[in-house]
Amino acid sequence: MRRLEMQHPLTIVTILAAIGGISAVCMDPVLLSVSLIGGVLFYAVRHQGGRVAVYLTSAALFAVLALLNPLFSHNGKTVLFVVNNAPVTLEALLYGMVAACMIVAVLYWFRSLSELMTSDKWIALLSVISSKLALVLSLSLRYIPLFGQQIKRVRQAQKAVGLYKDENIMDRLRGGLRIMSTMITWVLENGIITADSMEARGYGSGRRTTYTVVRFRRSDALLLLLTALLTAATLAGLYGAGTVYYPSFSFAAWTPWRAAGYAAFCLLALLPTILEWTEAIKWRYWRSKI
Amino acid sequence: MEILAIENLTFTYPEQEVPTLRDLSLSVPEGAFVTLAGKTGSGKSTLMRLLKQELAPKGTRSGSIRINGEEVGTLSPKESAALVGYVMQDPERQIVTDRVWHELAFGLENLGYAPQVIAARVAETASYFGIEEWYEQPTASLSGGQKQLLNLAAVMAMRPRILLLDEPTAQLDPVAASSFLSAVKRLHRDLSITIIMAEHRLEEVLPDSNRVWLLEEGRLLFDGTPKKALNRIQNDATWMCGMPAAARAFFALSGEGDCPLDIKEGRRFLQAQFPSPVADLPQSTATSNAQEVLRLDKVRFRYDRSGPDVLDEPELVVREGEIVTLLGGNGSGKTTALLAAAGLLRPYAGTVTVFGKPLKAYRGQALYDGCLAMLPQNVQTLFLKDTVREELADAAASETAIPFDFTPLLERHPYDLSGGEQQMLAFAKVLAASPRLLLLDEPTKGLDAGMKQRFAAMLQTLRDSGKTILLVTHDVEFAAEVADRVLFLFRGRVVSEGTPHEFFPDQQFYTTAVSRMSRGILPGAVTLDDVQRLFREATT
Repeated sequence: MRRLEMQHPLTIVTILAAIGGISAVCMDPVLLSVSLIGGVLFYAVRHQGGRVAVYLTSAALFAVLALLNPLFSHNGKTVLFVVNNAPVTLEALLYGMVAACMIVAVLYWFRSLSELMTSDKWIALLSVISSKLALVLSLSLRYIPLFGQQIKRVRQAQKAVGLYKDENIMDRLRGGLRIMSTMITWVLENGIITADSMEARGYGSGRRTTYTVVRFRRSDALLLLLTALLTAATLAGLYGAGTVYYPSFSFAAWTPWRAAGYAAFCLLALLPTILEWTEAIKWRYWRSKI
Repeated sequence: MEILAIENLTFTYPEQEVPTLRDLSLSVPEGAFVTLAGKTGSGKSTLMRLLKQELAPKGTRSGSIRINGEEVGTLSPKESAALVGYVMQDPERQIVTDRVWHELAFGLENLGYAPQVIAARVAETASYFGIEEWYEQPTASLSGGQKQLLNLAAVMAMRPRILLLDEPTAQLDPVAASSFLSAVKRLHRDLSITIIMAEHRLEEVLPDSNRVWLLEEGRLLFDGTPKKALNRIQNDATWMCGMPAAARAFFALSGEGDCPLDIKEGRRFLQAQFPSPVADLPQSTATSNAQEVLRLDKVRFRYDRSGPDVLDEPELVVREGEIVTLLGGNGSGKTTALLAAAGLLRPYAGTVTVFGKPLKAYRGQALYDGCLAMLPQNVQTLFLKDTVREELADAAASETAIPFDFTPLLERHPYDLSGGEQQMLAFAKVLAASPRLLLLDEPTKGLDAGMKQRFAAMLQTLRDSGKTILLVTHDVEFAAEVADRVLFLFRGRVVSEGTPHEFFPDQQFYTTAVSRMSRGILPGAVTLDDVQRLFREATT
């Protein structure tokens, strides 16, 4: 097994989407706590502890979201206190905390997804479906940074010959329009040369093949299978009676099925972190032998 | 065996009466290295493009072009794509995909090779060209030189039998250009692949070519070895100005026998010409007390908070009525210094003073209103209109502002001009702002040798009329020709400076070809004029 980052893009997307997806549909306090712990751990392991600012932001977000619900929802039997003639209930607070847990957990998973899935991995994934579409995406992705750079350069160049003024809004608008019109020419002109270069290298000369640097290994197949099994077990175990929040809070009945579902999700949510850890341990072991 | 045969080729663009190429007949044996030389507009690009089926311009063509025995135009698309490799001038826009590895694989994907074959070829190509280190990087993050090397590698991955290079180094700085050209020479040495290259940088290419085509107004002036070509054009100043320094020195001193081409042969020739030690050139030191026009005082700047200082308190003072040249490698802070002087970026420490007033004291556009103007590195950023005429009108520039004839270009789109013509148009726009201080970033990019000489004269005329010029360049020969003072920048600091005659003889690498060639033989010689002067003194 390798780190999740080194796996095939399909594996990365499947695992993270499965965890995020389950977290987004189950309003279960146990499951969501596990999901949040897994998400934070994975982030921390990949960033050597992570940044304090990230933790503080997510804690603040958690607090705001958790407190927002009892302010608007007044269901529930247990009144904690009364604000402006409106009761604040324990049940609504609990519900808010679980919902906040869900949102923060899903945000952590998505953060990892977007960090692991760089543009080239999305393209590799897309090329499985359509190689033409993947090529178009690859072509356009190249232009985004270039476009931004060029706008900045044009503005500087115009300014330094006294043709671009930015003293008031009208000036800026006029200057902006001038620059946009030249950017269109620039893109089209670029397009002609790129098209020449594509044709000179045989684009359109017949059937294309697709080459990617990512490889689908046996470990990818294993991980995909494992993810499918764990997802199925989780959903099966948690199907049916769930946690009740209103009018009073009660857990779902504790059955072996349910326990198995929780266990399966625990493994799933910790899988990315485990992959990361095993590699680190393996590496330390090998290094000690060298 | 003959790989390319051109017979009576004449080509005329649509709606033009005069043919661009007239009655060319050429043949190239397999494994030849041909250099195609000619001024801007002589038809070099047209000829190169006609040799590549996919890029052939529209127009009327007569005569025949046969590659490997088959007529161009009748090859199957796959055959043609694989047979002839083509590298164009612009490093940036030839790149198709967003990753280095994908760019290398692109051509092979188009030809329909199996992924395993592509993997093997891409790997082999990447390691030959030494690009494993940036194999997975986005193509947008590469430097110009890396981009052009990638373009060459991507073409070579398709295993062409002929390589066509259309001014591949015109947009690169000299250091990147040299390393690109050595990659080309290495390819030729290792694979004996047939190479046809249109190039202005003859100093480095000619010694390695075994054939030269000289093209003048669409006609073939000469076809043969470099030494014979030089003999043929020795009295034609417009041709000679672009030739290697060794050859120019040889003919300037009316040498006899075999014409030298590179520094080694040039040294041998000079040693024979100056057997006894020669007196030093009289030194002129620049002690100007003219008014200060620009001063960078303890200026520090960095692009990233965590990055290094790109400007590390360079001591930069420019006085009225002088041409100052900033030299230095890539990343030495040259362009950054210029941008700081132009008020386009804000140093985090220190002050920039222009005409005795700190930049902060200039309100609004006052700085750019008759005070200073800058020619950017990428001159296309100055063009906003559809024709040259509108472009000049937009800046209120007159067609006769600079001694360059815009008349035949007036209705053309600025982007369609050659590199040198674009440079001239941009320069006219900059002058139209009637600045007293001119900041020029790589002004000689894309100029052929003749244009460069005229441009140098233009700058000197401007200086004599009271303008002050600070220019950043990689072009050592140009700096030696035009500058009153040279500053060398390294890691954001000025490490040495002086007049060209103080500065260049002290340098070992970063100096003119004449200086490298005459080291220890003619102390202090920097330009060809110096050599001629010393020769006259020694012989009389």
